[in-house]
Amino acid sequence: MHGVIIMATVKINGKEITVQDNTLILDAARDAGFEIPTFCYQADLMGIGSCRMCLVEIEGQKKLQPSCITPVLHGMSINTETPTVISARASMLEFLLANHALDCPVCDKGGECELQDMVYKYGPHKGRHAEKKFKFQEKDYALSPVIIKNSNRCVQCQKCVRVCAEVVGANVLGALGRGDHQEETSFFRHFLDCDQDGNCIEVCPVGCFMRLPYRYRTRPWDLKGADTVCPYCGTGCRMVIEHRDGVLIRSKAQLGVGLNSETLCARGRFGCDFASSTERLKTPLIRRGGSLEPASWEEALGYIKEHIPVNIGNKMGGIASPRLTNEELYLFQKLLRDIFGSPNLDSTARWEPEATEGFIKATGMDEGGVSVFDCMESDSVLVIGSHLSDENPVTDYIVRRIKNTRRMSLIIASPREMKLDSSATIKLRHSPGREAAVLDAIALAVNAGKPSPAEGAALKDAKIEDLIASAGVTKGAVEQIAQRLLAANSIAIIAGMEFLRHPEGIPELGLLKEALKSSGKKVLVMPALDRANQRGAWEMGVHPAFGPGYGPVKDKGLGCAGMLEAANRGDLDMMYIAGADVAAMHPDEEFTRKALLKLKLLVVQDIFLSETAKLAHVVLPGSSFAEKEGTFTNQEGRAQIIRKLLPPPGKAKRDLDVIRAVGEVYDPSFGPKMPVLVLDEIRNAAGMYAHVSLAFNNKRNTENKLDNRHALVQGSATSALSVTRFSAATTEPEGRFHLTTGNHLFHSGRFSRRSGTLLGLLSAAVVEISEKDAASLNLKSGDKVKVKGRHYEAILSLKTKKGSKEGVAFIAENYDDVPVNRFFKKGEPAPRVDITKVTY
Amino acid sequence: MEKVLLKNLGKPDSHRIENYIANGGYRALEAALKLKPDNIVQMVKDSGLRGRGGAGFSTGLKWSFIPKDPTIPKYLCCNADEGEPGTFKDRGIIDNDPHLLVEGMAIASYAIGAANSYIYIRGEFAFGADRLEAAIKEATEKGYLGNNIQGSGFSHNMYVHKGFGAYICGEETALLESIEGYRGQPRKKPPFPALSGLYAKPTVINNVETLACIPAIIEKGPKWFSSMGPEKSPGPKIYCVSGHVKKPGLYELPMGTTVRDLIFNHCGGMLKNRELKAVIPGGVSAPMLTTRDLDTPLDFDSLAAKGSMLGSGAVIVMDESTCMVKMALIINRFFSHESCGKCTPCRDGTPWLTNILKRIEGGQGRQGDVELLESLCTNIFGRTFCPLGDGAVMALRGALKNFRDEFQYHIDHKKCMAS
Amino acid sequence: MGDGFKIFELVKKVLFTDFVKGLSITLGYNVSRSITHRYPDEEKWIPYRRFRGLHTLNKDEHGRELCVACELCSKACPTQCITVIPMEDDTGRGIADRVAKVWKVDLVRCLFCGYCEDACPTRAVRLGREYELACIDSRCNVRQREELLHPQPTPEAFEGGVVARATFIRKKRSIKVKADLMNTKKRSI
Repeated sequence: MHGVIIMATVKINGKEITVQDNTLILDAARDAGFEIPTFCYQADLMGIGSCRMCLVEIEGQKKLQPSCITPVLHGMSINTETPTVISARASMLEFLLANHALDCPVCDKGGECELQDMVYKYGPHKGRHAEKKFKFQEKDYALSPVIIKNSNRCVQCQKCVRVCAEVVGANVLGALGRGDHQEETSFFRHFLDCDQDGNCIEVCPVGCFMRLPYRYRTRPWDLKGADTVCPYCGTGCRMVIEHRDGVLIRSKAQLGVGLNSETLCARGRFGCDFASSTERLKTPLIRRGGSLEPASWEEALGYIKEHIPVNIGNKMGGIASPRLTNEELYLFQKLLRDIFGSPNLDSTARWEPEATEGFIKATGMDEGGVSVFDCMESDSVLVIGSHLSDENPVTDYIVRRIKNTRRMSLIIASPREMKLDSSATIKLRHSPGREAAVLDAIALAVNAGKPSPAEGAALKDAKIEDLIASAGVTKGAVEQIAQRLLAANSIAIIAGMEFLRHPEGIPELGLLKEALKSSGKKVLVMPALDRANQRGAWEMGVHPAFGPGYGPVKDKGLGCAGMLEAANRGDLDMMYIAGADVAAMHPDEEFTRKALLKLKLLVVQDIFLSETAKLAHVVLPGSSFAEKEGTFTNQEGRAQIIRKLLPPPGKAKRDLDVIRAVGEVYDPSFGPKMPVLVLDEIRNAAGMYAHVSLAFNNKRNTENKLDNRHALVQGSATSALSVTRFSAATTEPEGRFHLTTGNHLFHSGRFSRRSGTLLGLLSAAVVEISEKDAASLNLKSGDKVKVKGRHYEAILSLKTKKGSKEGVAFIAENYDDVPVNRFFKKGEPAPRVDITKVTY
Repeated sequence: MEKVLLKNLGKPDSHRIENYIANGGYRALEAALKLKPDNIVQMVKDSGLRGRGGAGFSTGLKWSFIPKDPTIPKYLCCNADEGEPGTFKDRGIIDNDPHLLVEGMAIASYAIGAANSYIYIRGEFAFGADRLEAAIKEATEKGYLGNNIQGSGFSHNMYVHKGFGAYICGEETALLESIEGYRGQPRKKPPFPALSGLYAKPTVINNVETLACIPAIIEKGPKWFSSMGPEKSPGPKIYCVSGHVKKPGLYELPMGTTVRDLIFNHCGGMLKNRELKAVIPGGVSAPMLTTRDLDTPLDFDSLAAKGSMLGSGAVIVMDESTCMVKMALIINRFFSHESCGKCTPCRDGTPWLTNILKRIEGGQGRQGDVELLESLCTNIFGRTFCPLGDGAVMALRGALKNFRDEFQYHIDHKKCMAS
Repeated sequence: MGDGFKIFELVKKVLFTDFVKGLSITLGYNVSRSITHRYPDEEKWIPYRRFRGLHTLNKDEHGRELCVACELCSKACPTQCITVIPMEDDTGRGIADRVAKVWKVDLVRCLFCGYCEDACPTRAVRLGREYELACIDSRCNVRQREELLHPQPTPEAFEGGVVARATFIRKKRSIKVKADLMNTKKRSI
């Protein structure tokens, strides 16, 4: 691979073209501008050459050859348009139609069906098949709450099976039967227990796999779409959302567009219906006599003006959600800093501001964007502190897909079992919250037990044995990892949100990076974030310690926890919370509610009446991602456009307009008005964004390797970040299980709970423990269990995982009925819980 | 002629290793282990042995494609998935003389440097599989398999893998998929198994009969072997004769025996002395020969010149009472049932052909059906992933070419011409 | 101009010749066979089958709706006057489990071109022989599925191209011309 690239010159339809040796004939022909139809070929999947649509004639060979699995040879002469080839295509389509159900009027795929298009273009326009057709089944059957199947329409391209195995890694689809009775489906047509991401639906060229929520709701030509970015996790998947008559009906990925190409996860593909939820806020609300009453915008803004004086300064605080666009976040911090004169700003209720600052520094976010594809070009990839398969499913797909096609090592360190483990070269199960010890142990092992100069002081007294015991791992595994890292020339580290939950690992992450760099290796670090615009929020300066572009600020303010404490003390009177659900997400719910209730004025801007909004004095209705323009910066530092599809419901406004309206109350020139103009201002204020190009946004790319460098943000010249050392967290002595939290595969934050489809995928809250623990407690998957902590207890259903670390219980942070933050208590050690079976 | 392959058939307890050794068995292996692997490959090349599975590719040449690098594991697979209708030669060897195969495989493994070999046997051959397993056990006990065979430093283990009854698993790459535990569907070629076969390692796949020839070549020399039969395809060949002959069965004869000689001399002529109508010379995918081709020698090149093929050597003889439409239907139904479902033309084309043939045979033929059959044959032929689809088409094309009027008669008169 | 002519004119005037001539035409019509349809009071024209009038949604012999809500009619419509919203119903209401939740046509926009008939893959939508589409409320210009599923007064089997006896029914909110198909006569011109 590192040698000389051998080129081959071939003739295609008489046109000479020079391509890399081993290029497929199909790709070469498409490069040369000749169309070759295919069904079973997909750039990201292994070729199987089964549909025979792509047959071409190679001079000197008697038989037609499938171009999708035949590489070019120097001097080949290929014809793609001879009468034989054309008749072969028509005959293949005739065979496919022979047993096809031909129920296009009923089929949901009708209108965007590849088989229809192909037959229209290449097909026999007269049918000769007059025999009885074989029917797999009379009625469509559901494979899951979101997938419905009609095998009679199948063209047997096996894309569903391959995408399930090679990209998603779920391995739940396969083929039953043989010959013309072959049917791609689940294990004997049972209900699927998988990620429910519906990538099988997306790759299906015909109406064989279909979306159940979309079933019989419309025709593709009735839909109007907008090319936008998924609002859930930080991966930043590009997708098209479509509506009919103002109702958001579906979201879908596009082949060759965006880093995700044709893949999405369950949240992205099925979870966008929250935008059309009937519970959306449609009008401003003002608290009158104890309850929130509908009001006009003038009244709401008047109320705010009456209560918040200009330059209120320290008495004011602001929290903006990392789901707002860069433009809105920028304007929000401008409002807080310039109009109200307050330094108290934060973008999350979940982490300490010092932790986020250190994380940004340690992962090198201020040094510019790092593409996930560049990471996957490395010899060794270390995934740590992230349950990637659940938190960033599409990043997981990208890692798996590329890992399977090239020689590299993938190392996964995580307390919980995850789907990506099956692709890992080495997997390490460590105790929860012990990322610091794991990284230190690796760093020591890399340097044969002695700290490297870069780590000098920090690891002076550390002993690898102590670290290994503290991390709960084996020495052999750590040494294996060290060997892999030493053998690699380039290393990528994907560091996830656990570092923010347990911030003592952050400095160690920086140290390992430096240590590897100093030993002459190329090191890339990519954060794995769980909110669509978390990185953008930080880069827009929605943080108490730094301004736009990580630049320095005059005086540092308070973070979310600090603000709540100040409010509790009575030092902070007012808060403006845009989009964040502080009451539900901040650890220690009781304290948070108490603090918020003490505020003299709480302004909440949201799209639903969240737990926080219920405590507000003024509620301003904002807009969802489908109702506004702007940019999101994903975890890689890739700025991407989101586009407006629908108007905000009722009297609700775009968030940008809401923030601007609040600002204009005090300064009529507060602006700018248009997102594009705000972006221009951002380019000036944050040098990182000066050269960000949004032009790539509609670029199609057949190889699925984005020409991404134009879209990535650059390094910040004004960065003034520091890493704080946190003392190691302690846990409570009582209780068998260490309680951890994070995102569920089907949910991200709280607003995914407003998506009816996602709710249908997971009916009840789940606690997850290892299979061994369950066995010793005599429990099994699906049991109702009581989870008892010191401060809270809840009844959940149990899920067991095979390879998880023992003594770890996981409850996702997304359930309304089991708010996991009630287990936590401010200033107290991490909670431990006991699990017992509930008997009725 | 001295029998080579079937020499132990009919002897009491021929499957026991004592009797096999008493009849001169395993001497070739002992001799081979004293030779250099390259020499053995050269001997097999010189002997002119061609694969007996159907394609007739030079065995020595196939072995010589295997990389010589000793660090790469290599495999030998014996294709005992004898599924072609009318073929029962491998079964004869496996059931009666399993040690001949074991010895041949041991020599072949030594020649290509394979430490492990697999015998992929049809699931229905439960008896044969048991015999083979017993034979492997016996051979291991006697030191002809296992570690350090006969003190030569060469170690080899042999395994029997039972198939699950799919005809397609007789295709070499589908066989490999099946051994690996995947769906039995052919793989794309290139890469060829010689470079990336079983578990993506260099692999040689040989037929039972081919491997059974190896001990004799080592023992008696390549010259002796190549002196038998025609120059281009020498050696002994087992013909499996079935159908309307007086004495059907296995006949070991030199390559190039003519059809007439085989039927009227060795098999004792036609059953009830009826007129001969057609002969399928090499398994059901081979186009049939008619009375005017009776003097064709049964070897690879002569049959190819006649537009047919030797295939596995399954000679099916049909007399004048045979309905060609029914014959075509039976053969086609077999192929459509056994189509693996991977590629479009074979999966959807062969059942279509079967349906049409079924209609014609059942008296519901329509005008234009023969032309439709021909057109579908053209659409399938040469466009399938593996040769199964081609085989189905070749058989039908052969019938249509020689007996078109019978098909037409069926359509026109709704009844059979022959009866 | 001669005197004879003047006298002739005078005689004509005296004898009311022009008057009689004119009256004879009038009286002639009074006794001749009428070519005007006595519509709506007594007669109604029943068009041929090829006539393109109000849409009708058909059912099959088992009473199941033929419409599968494929929306091809609405796609084919040059004036976009047809709206179809599909839904799933596997209770046997339609021939497939996909049926129309809404099937409506805006008759004010419709130009009765019949493209919807051509597009229909199941022959569910046909343009029928109803042509009395005027009404007193503009809302009734949009005809809904439920209404169109009722069979039209003139059955498909009826040849048409005849004038039928009719009764004119006037109610407070509507008027109706009810044809008696048993009592028809060929139109003569």
